[in-house]
Amino acid sequence: MKKKLKTSVIGSYPISIDTGELINDYFSDKLSSWTEYIEQAVHDMTTAGIDYVSDGQTRDPFIQLFTRKLKGCRIRNRTEIIGHVEYQDQITVEDQKFARQMLPRDTGLVGIITGPYTLTKSSVDLFYHDTKELCFDFATALRGEALLLQKYVDLISIDEPFFSNELPEYAKELIGTITNGLSCPTRLHVCGDVSRIIPQLVEMPVEILSHEFKASPQLLEFFKEYSCLRKICVGAVQSDDVRVESIEEIVTHIKKAIAIFGENVVQIAPDCGQRLLPREIAFRKLQNLTLAGEIING
Amino acid sequence: MFSFTKEQKVFEISGISIGGQPGIYPTVLFGGVFFKGEPDFDDAKRHIQTSLDISKQTGTPIIPDFFIRKVEFIEPIISFIEKVMPRKYPFSIDIIEPSIKVETLIHLAEKKLLTRTIYNSIHIGITKEEMDVLQNNTPEMAIIVAFNPKNKSPDGKIEVLENGAYLTEKGLLEIAHNLGIEKILVDTAALAPGENSGAAIAAIPVIKEEYGLPTGCAIHNVVEKSRWLNDFPLAKKTVDVASNISIPLFGGDYAIFGPIENAGLVIPLIAWQDILVSEYAENYFGITPVAAHPRRRLLK
Repeated sequence: MKKKLKTSVIGSYPISIDTGELINDYFSDKLSSWTEYIEQAVHDMTTAGIDYVSDGQTRDPFIQLFTRKLKGCRIRNRTEIIGHVEYQDQITVEDQKFARQMLPRDTGLVGIITGPYTLTKSSVDLFYHDTKELCFDFATALRGEALLLQKYVDLISIDEPFFSNELPEYAKELIGTITNGLSCPTRLHVCGDVSRIIPQLVEMPVEILSHEFKASPQLLEFFKEYSCLRKICVGAVQSDDVRVESIEEIVTHIKKAIAIFGENVVQIAPDCGQRLLPREIAFRKLQNLTLAGEIING
Repeated sequence: MFSFTKEQKVFEISGISIGGQPGIYPTVLFGGVFFKGEPDFDDAKRHIQTSLDISKQTGTPIIPDFFIRKVEFIEPIISFIEKVMPRKYPFSIDIIEPSIKVETLIHLAEKKLLTRTIYNSIHIGITKEEMDVLQNNTPEMAIIVAFNPKNKSPDGKIEVLENGAYLTEKGLLEIAHNLGIEKILVDTAALAPGENSGAAIAAIPVIKEEYGLPTGCAIHNVVEKSRWLNDFPLAKKTVDVASNISIPLFGGDYAIFGPIENAGLVIPLIAWQDILVSEYAENYFGITPVAAHPRRRLLK
């Protein structure tokens, strides 16, 4: 029977990078390789039984992962914008292709894109001095990545945590710049307290909305007040707490979400990327998420 | 040939000064000893003496860079340094394996040699144990290798110095400062052709302008990695020696030039280049060289 509810990850997964090996490669004239870290992340996610896995975003934090390769950006203590932001070459596509060939047949792949507003707000703008213009140049550049990515992934997820702090009036247009006309489904992940911006979120040009419902369960009540036609990815285990939620606790939480969103609940996931958790804890959370999903799916 | 707007630091170790605006101090050379791993002490003694003689003649300082590749080599190499090297003369220790670095630091501290030691090197692979030992057995000077596997451009090299490129908890400069190492030489991490090899040279003025720290690299490694040069053995040797010129030409302060056996070729070459830089620097910027500079030593 086809599973109704799929398990997913949001993005990052905690893998320690062996800097000793990287420097030894340098001293012995070998090219640095990241494949073993992607392998470890994908292995954990698939072993835990996750339906939609990511490449683990092991190369960099989610901001630098993108700004490192976009023209017009340079990385100091923070990313600095020093010229027109433009797409030059693939950013995550090669890693996704590598992750894809490791996956069991029924496992899907999520391509993650850090959103333009979050990139803008995380950067020091030394060039544009115009937030909106920078945002849209980021969005246009990220669309370049999305167009490539859609050929290799089953879902593109846009990660926009800064929307919960401040939602620009052009947010919908901004996200649409990336998603319009893409051939694969899209998801918008906004963690934090989104209670004030739900009316705008439910209008976003994506198929799935993903929020931090486990750390902020009150969000479920706020969503109740709005008609939400979007599909929902329910944050069901916390990403900022090392306590591993029991299967029963996760099941109860998912049932509450289903009571509000009904069949629109299509995915369950951690509240956010798991980078800051110890690896063993992150893995056990994913395992319990999978087991809870199986109970819900019957 | 140029001058930097950022104030340039000059660090001194046992009478040798490294850094500053181009044209003031001579380029300092580091010559590899026990390059092949197994120590040949007689050979090393001969080459060190020859290189020191040429250095004295030209004014171009040379610092022996001792490779220590096995734990059992630590004791005899340090003993060699004590007996053969001129007293109060600096040297560097060039070690890859963290456990050997740790053991060597402890030996150097016991022999009271740390004030003459240049630690080669601190980089992204620094371990907790290494940091603990460095904290209590701090060498006078250290080379920081600005190798960033995520970004091989000059910007990437600055990133790893600044914040560790998210591979170390702090930037490499902060790590060194926290260990009590104030005399820092930046190595711009030369990479193979095809991997942005030119960035090691381009990064020299960028880093000097950003931090004012003495900066250089082992650009001859790029020649070693240029396999196509194997078809031209005579040219390969010439290119290997000549590659070092790029460093003072781009405002750099030191060159790690490979086996000390090449000192007879590299020292005069660099002395020649330093004279060129100094003449222009004085004529255009009014920068005068120190008394020991090759220009003063060789042009009577």
